[in-house]
Amino acid sequence: MSKPLEVLLLDDEPIVGRRLKPALDKIGCRVEVFEDPREAVARIDQKEFDIVVTDIRMEGMDGLQVFAHVQKKWPRTKVIMITGYAKIDLAREAMGKGVFDFIAKPFRPDDLRQIIANAAEELGSPIYNSSMSKEPVEA
Amino acid sequence: MNILKKMKKIGHKESEIRDFCIQTIRFKKFLENARALLDLFEDGREKALGEYIFDRHYVVTLIDSVVERLGMMVYDACVLLPESGEALYATYDTHKRTAENLIDFSGFVKKNISSGDVTPETSKTVEPEYQLLSEVLQWFNGKDAPLHSTVMAFMKQIFSKVVQGQGPNEIIKNRPLFENCCGKIPDMGIYLIDLWDDGVALPGGKSSIHDFNSIPLNHLLIDTGARSVPNGADWVAAVGEYQLSLNSLRADFQFRLVTLASGDADADFIFVFADNAAILDTLLPPGFHIENSGYGQFAWNLGISEKTIEDSLMIIGRNLFN
Repeated sequence: MSKPLEVLLLDDEPIVGRRLKPALDKIGCRVEVFEDPREAVARIDQKEFDIVVTDIRMEGMDGLQVFAHVQKKWPRTKVIMITGYAKIDLAREAMGKGVFDFIAKPFRPDDLRQIIANAAEELGSPIYNSSMSKEPVEA
Repeated sequence: MNILKKMKKIGHKESEIRDFCIQTIRFKKFLENARALLDLFEDGREKALGEYIFDRHYVVTLIDSVVERLGMMVYDACVLLPESGEALYATYDTHKRTAENLIDFSGFVKKNISSGDVTPETSKTVEPEYQLLSEVLQWFNGKDAPLHSTVMAFMKQIFSKVVQGQGPNEIIKNRPLFENCCGKIPDMGIYLIDLWDDGVALPGGKSSIHDFNSIPLNHLLIDTGARSVPNGADWVAAVGEYQLSLNSLRADFQFRLVTLASGDADADFIFVFADNAAILDTLLPPGFHIENSGYGQFAWNLGISEKTIEDSLMIIGRNLFN
């Protein structure tokens, strides 16, 4: 049995973690949820995650700073940005700097699952997403 | 032969004709703002079905967008009907206060959940963001909302005022002007007026009648054939290549059709008003949303493909003119 995908999910809006965690658990991810970016960064210092999903706009520390921290500490980790519609340009700019992908709120859990599946494929650990397909999700 | 080739357009040398065009263009802007509001309602309804993940920021942005668009619609209505400005802005202010209260209430709910004042059952079963969105949808067009308190009820009120204010007397008042400019009974019994895209800037060059094309008018008339109109014209149509505003000139039959047929489904629409109760049920093809009001019937079809808009206009044209 393949190792579960380790995912850190960071959004200061509690609803995002509450609703996304079960959706990602279903596709075999092991998810740790954070609302405070400083706590998330402290956890990132301790553990290498396969994927970090982070909101861009947060109090104290924004998603781009989190991304820079991850990139420095764990270059293999894929970072996915969650953004509000107004910040899409910022997210596109971040992709040019190495962010794997971004998703704009509001979104469906399946939309994020597809991006995570693409990231997993690129990491060499394809996941099975039964809600979308019986086959490994293609990048 | 293209049926439009036979028709003659009235230019806009006369200042009254220009005023008529400006009013027509403003009415189209008014409809575009109404359409944007309906799209916002639909977006909120879609998100509330439970499949989407959204945060408070989304709901607050939705509320702000509705307030902004409603303000634009009220502004357009006041340009069209200045005497109604005070009453409309008073109601608009009430809606702005409702919006502010909704946003404040969301803060209240969030605060109380995080401090543990709300029962675990409540916080488990209804996310505060979903609760807020549900209340916002009630404000938009809720069946349980108090009568006349919804945004939709206000929109209908504005529509009625504008359509009544630009009613038969207003349009018919212009009949001598059209007759003078046209100089004879117009083809198909329709006075045809050149319209331009932008209400602020007049067209630069002289428009050529020979190059005349109005896609929506062409579709409206394509299936009607030539008509004999011995008693004069009953219609005035303000046209551009992609737009048409058709108005009845009869005192006993108030009818108005406005459409944009640019080929962009996200922008195109058909709006119809008729004062004759229930006529739209038989006049329009399926797919229209029809609202009855004390003053008449309003109907619209939004987000429609090029083919649907063509077919719809052909059917309406047949039913109107044959």
